[in-house]
Amino acid sequence: MSYLKMAQRNLWRNKRRTVITVSSIFFATLFAVVMRSFQLGSYSLMIRNSIEQYYGFIRIQHSGYTQDPVLENTFESNRELLDKIQNISNVKAVTPRLETFSLASSGNISKGVLVLGIDPETETRFSNPENFLIRFKLTPKVIESLSRDSFLYPLLEVISKHRDAVFADKFELREIFADDPISHSKLRKILELSEVEGRFLSSNDRGVVLSSRLARFLKLEVGDSVILMGQGYQGASAVGVYPIVGIVKIPNPELDNRVVYMPLNLAQEFTNVLNRISYFAINLNNTSDNQLRITADSIKAIVTESYLDVKTWQELNRVLVQQIESDNQSGNAFLFLLYLVVFFGILGTVIMMVHERIHEFGVLISLGMQKHKLIFSLFLELVLMALMGIGFGFLVGIPIIQYYSFYPIRLSGDLANMMTEMGFEPLLPMAPVSGFVWGQGIVTLIMVMIASLYPIRKIIKLQVVSALKR
Amino acid sequence: MAIIEVVSLDKIYNDSAVEVTALKNINLSISSGEFTAIVGPSGSGKTTLLNLIGGLDYPTSGKIRVGDVWLNELKGFRLIDFRLHNIGFVFQSYNLIPVLTALENVELIMQLQGVSAKERRKRATELLHRVGLGDRCDSRPSKLSGGQQQRVAVARALASKPKYILADEPTANLDGKSTETLLNVMEELNRDEGVTFIFSTHDQRVINRARRVVLLEDGYINSDTFN
Ligand SMILES: Nc1ncnc2c1ncn2[C@@H]1O[C@H](COP(=O)(O)OP(=O)(O)O)[C@@H](O)[C@H]1O
Ligand SMILES: [Mg+2]
Repeated sequence: MSYLKMAQRNLWRNKRRTVITVSSIFFATLFAVVMRSFQLGSYSLMIRNSIEQYYGFIRIQHSGYTQDPVLENTFESNRELLDKIQNISNVKAVTPRLETFSLASSGNISKGVLVLGIDPETETRFSNPENFLIRFKLTPKVIESLSRDSFLYPLLEVISKHRDAVFADKFELREIFADDPISHSKLRKILELSEVEGRFLSSNDRGVVLSSRLARFLKLEVGDSVILMGQGYQGASAVGVYPIVGIVKIPNPELDNRVVYMPLNLAQEFTNVLNRISYFAINLNNTSDNQLRITADSIKAIVTESYLDVKTWQELNRVLVQQIESDNQSGNAFLFLLYLVVFFGILGTVIMMVHERIHEFGVLISLGMQKHKLIFSLFLELVLMALMGIGFGFLVGIPIIQYYSFYPIRLSGDLANMMTEMGFEPLLPMAPVSGFVWGQGIVTLIMVMIASLYPIRKIIKLQVVSALKR
Repeated sequence: MAIIEVVSLDKIYNDSAVEVTALKNINLSISSGEFTAIVGPSGSGKTTLLNLIGGLDYPTSGKIRVGDVWLNELKGFRLIDFRLHNIGFVFQSYNLIPVLTALENVELIMQLQGVSAKERRKRATELLHRVGLGDRCDSRPSKLSGGQQQRVAVARALASKPKYILADEPTANLDGKSTETLLNVMEELNRDEGVTFIFSTHDQRVINRARRVVLLEDGYINSDTFN
């Protein structure tokens, strides 16, 4: 009769309590794993949307630019430097940009915008804006022609709800019918009707690409022109009229509200800065904190010009770092509360278990069982329960988070609008399985160990005679 | 030489508000092979005396020798180990381990002693045969009658090859017939194998079967007679 077998039988002896305890550990593990996965997923989405899509993990810029991001703090672009950086193994992409604020107007509507002068070739490797190019739009005209088509008429209700919605590809468009999927032929018809023109920039273009919310705000379409007005280099004024060659739907709503892409040459012409750029933005393959530091150091070794700074996103974007940190703290506080509840649940079980069996412990010790053996066998029971709970938690939790890390939940309706207004993409992404999952299991095991201090103390202090009397 | 020597033993309980003198100046010596009853009315100190002889509790004063060991000199795990190898216990309410079968209950003690699996299985089976339960080896305690459980308890007590077996009112929960069977088993073991039994009781039928009767009254030994 091994201790393990005895522990199993003891667990079986009070099935109900075992089931209750195991399921509370199960739910706690499941909940903690899923919640943590949501948290980590949302951080990496935030980082992806703002750092990878726009900011860059590392930037090289003029030392004055951090304090005062104006055109006077730009520097001469340097192809040689770009190539050297691109050759560092952890560097995924480098791209030069000229950034300036300006006023965009059309008719009597205007809005402050961020003009991004980009090198289309390297930018494609960096953030690939072309990917977000709008190819379909549910204009009023599309809706009208639908209402005249008896074949498509039944879809009118759904489509009317998405008036003026824009889509980068057919999959995105198909999603508005997710509740009530439509046939291929209907989808093809709608795609045909709603297709819009547009392309991305090439380096010698004289036109611009607008972000989709900005275009909607200014009531502009591909083929229209936008007027840009701002400050140029050294007090000159920057003014120009540019044809719109494409519209992109940037996932980060904050950017989608205010970005104008312009070829770098044209932007330099617009602002009157000859061959100067605001910064090199750099994306990495491995983005862990450690690799970020190491790569930043190797870039620093290459950049010899004393007026240039090499900065990580964490140094530059304190707001995002703090946002993540404070969210992480509140998430951890919540998990702590969850664990506290579970801990007291486990402790309750342990206390009941000890009180129910104190007489039996007295018998075993009087027969000659050493207290440490008794403690071990009891501990084994608790660990067994914990392992079952944690195991089932993993068994259910891991497939859930793996699935949703591949197919994130896309929100719709009011919640989505709210998130968009706050500047978040309306996605509930999950982080795939990694160390944090096992971490939750370890925390639960540690709780069981702490809870088992109670029976250990009880057994050590146990007086055989009084235990036998019970 | 006596296997148990009790010398001017006092036991005073003072853990509650009033002090209770449970045993007063007990002197007793018990030899190997005895079949002795400790008798007396409820509250006379029978359980207290057996607990002290069993090394489950310490006297207030006086001492107890078992073999050549003074019990008061043993503390903690040494005392537990001493019990494991020297003393067998039978309780009034059987106290078998509910999750173990009859056979496993008997084996448990030997397992704690470190006897090999094969040997303990053999001996446990033998012992259960010996107490007339050869066919109930695989039954859990809940499937056995009180009398049967108590016989398993006797087999368990014997398993460690103890110097003596202490039984505190072993028949108190049993009916007449089961009492008879249990006493027969105990007597047989005593007669054929020289197992020393010390048991407390206030049942006259049990007293009649004892070969020595120690009568306690208010913590004193009132009489000590050999039949
Ligand atoms: N733990 C204890 N605390 C206080 N008094 C006790 C305790 N155990 C027993 N007693 C008292 O000691 C006396 C002897 O008890 P006990 O040995 O149980 O007698 P018996 O077994 O003969 O009925 C009784 O008066 C009883 O109330
Ligand atoms: Mg008693």
